[in-house]
Amino acid sequence: MIEVIETGPFNTVQDLGRPGYRKIGVTASGAMDPLGLKLGNLLVGNAPGAAAIEVQTFPFRLRFTGAVVFTVAGADCGAGLDGHPLLALCTYVADKGQVLDLGQPRTGARAYVCVAGGVDVEPVMGSRSTSLRGAFGGNDGRYLRVGDTLSLCAATDGHRARAGISVVDPAFALSDHLPVSDDGSLLIRALPAGEHDLFGNDADRFWTETWKISSKSDRTGYRLSGEPIRPTTPVEMRSHGVVPGVVQVPPGGEPIVQMSDANTAGGYPKIAGVIDADLWRLGQARIGSRLRFVRATHREALDVERAMARFLEDVRVTSAMVTRALNIMA
Amino acid sequence: MSQVDFTDPATIAELTAALEAAGVDGLEIERPTQGVRILLARGRSPIVDRTAEDRSAVVPASFVAVKAPMAGEFLSHDISRSAAPEDHPQEVESGDVIGFVKVGPILLPLAAPASGQIVRHVAEHGAIVGFGDPLFEIEPRS
Amino acid sequence: MNASLAMPTSSPAALQLTRVGARVSAIGARAFLLEALGEFDLASQRRIWALSRAVEAWEDLSEIVPGMTNLLVIFKDIPEDPEPVVTRIMEAWEGAQSIDLDGKTIEIDVCYGGEHATDLAALCDRSGLSDREVVRIHYEATYRVFAVGSAPGFGYLHGLDPRIYMPRKTVPSINMARGCVTIGGMQTGVAVLTGPNGWNSIGFAELQMFDPSSPTPAIMAPGDTVRFVPVRVEL
Repeated sequence: MIEVIETGPFNTVQDLGRPGYRKIGVTASGAMDPLGLKLGNLLVGNAPGAAAIEVQTFPFRLRFTGAVVFTVAGADCGAGLDGHPLLALCTYVADKGQVLDLGQPRTGARAYVCVAGGVDVEPVMGSRSTSLRGAFGGNDGRYLRVGDTLSLCAATDGHRARAGISVVDPAFALSDHLPVSDDGSLLIRALPAGEHDLFGNDADRFWTETWKISSKSDRTGYRLSGEPIRPTTPVEMRSHGVVPGVVQVPPGGEPIVQMSDANTAGGYPKIAGVIDADLWRLGQARIGSRLRFVRATHREALDVERAMARFLEDVRVTSAMVTRALNIMA
Repeated sequence: MSQVDFTDPATIAELTAALEAAGVDGLEIERPTQGVRILLARGRSPIVDRTAEDRSAVVPASFVAVKAPMAGEFLSHDISRSAAPEDHPQEVESGDVIGFVKVGPILLPLAAPASGQIVRHVAEHGAIVGFGDPLFEIEPRS
Repeated sequence: MNASLAMPTSSPAALQLTRVGARVSAIGARAFLLEALGEFDLASQRRIWALSRAVEAWEDLSEIVPGMTNLLVIFKDIPEDPEPVVTRIMEAWEGAQSIDLDGKTIEIDVCYGGEHATDLAALCDRSGLSDREVVRIHYEATYRVFAVGSAPGFGYLHGLDPRIYMPRKTVPSINMARGCVTIGGMQTGVAVLTGPNGWNSIGFAELQMFDPSSPTPAIMAPGDTVRFVPVRVEL
């Protein structure tokens, strides 16, 4: 078990979410950095979508009530076990009573505590993710509080997770497929969406302007601040389904990017849709940081998606092989 | 901890499959009483060489050797997260990570087994190393 | 046929296909929205229901989200080439005959007026009707669930009498209670979550619209018929 002994206000249990229920108004939820979650889970021998603790408000501390293999994925938050510093995305064995603490991230915004077996909360509608909006799933449908205890599932059969398995930084591994700006702004690739052309010259400005992630941003969506953009004539939209990554422009002219807790329906004109493969990077972007949208092609979206899938498969196969070999030789 | 029997063909097959999956060309395991070396020749059956003679340590008894836990690429630092350090630290504390062995995307951190001084960097950054290859020699602080 | 299909070239343009009666556009690389361009009416929605049925049989489909005379189609994987996918959705629309779903009838007990009817007075001002008339017009109509969405189990109900249309509030109520019976533009519905809400409340219903532990979590489904039963009127 895990006992939460210190937490910021907005930390939750998340897996890869519960897609499939948008048509009855249920947000998919799930990790804001799904790549980080998958990598952490693969290292400890879990299925990529096992439930973990998503920490987005720090500091965070937990106590292990039994020996377990774990890793901290996602943001590099100077994690320590009983005060001993830990490497990012590296497995460790915690002994009964040991305390894991996560400090303010040095890079990134969200860290994932992945444990062998995964966090065991009751699955609701096929997922252990916390649905904050619906107040169900995860740990009682709410944020974690000090004193909460979380059970762990039994570790996967046939895989003895071990300490000392790490993985290269995903941004390094995927560097051939990630755009980098010369001014430190995050470059996020997107495809134009339905109302893009109705923004006239402002559509061009959408792609060139540097946007700031405002403090009114959370798991539901990122509100961007900058010079407003507006359609050339008012657009009346009927309510329609949306997905994470959709960039909507409310009447005020400052875009909103829907994230993991995206509403299932929306009616603001949509100027763009962020490609799936860049959502994890957006999920690690901090409030106050700057970004620009890069107009991508469908082909580019497909290529980077496949590169990510290849990397994950490589990590899955190699980490399992290395773990097995080291276990044999131990 | 149970001993692995390297005379068992199933064990050899398992290790060989693991090596192929990792894209690693060879593996050498040494035990005081038993050793195995597997070399993968692409497109051919693996060459397996079992030895059973007693092997003696090559490092002076007072020094502690840090050996490669597995075949892979030796890295003096995590190339994916940090730039090359100006120079190698000489004084280390027990548990300090002093290098990595990289197998595909997987990194195996190498922890100093004792506090003391690194007296020898055996492997160059980027070198391909085999299982058990000495990478560092540490003179423990008394 | 008035067809235009703009594909990404060196300077990628928005992928969009418009034909008589409908438009398909992309949201990202694996979600595509078909919007019926005609009236916001039951006939258009029936065709959306038919399209939903057809699309749901596709093996490469992840999920669909029916909206107001539109349908979002989300695929499992990014298609190799979006052009044939967009065409496939458009052709499914063209082949979709208006169907009437065999929905169930749901009767919802409502207490009209009272503490939860925070916007009834404003509705009277706007419509020039008395509160009694507004309430009677609301419960005498028969509604159809056009779509479920926006919040877990929330049904968008079509069939509101135009005399009591009321635009959404520009400043939402901060903390409207779950169960409030509301009017938003030309639609009505029952709030399923307590929280900010821009619709206008005229009453309250106890019925639980959503149960996440049930095999069928949402009570309402598209095509269902809904009647409001005035169990109490507090004016």
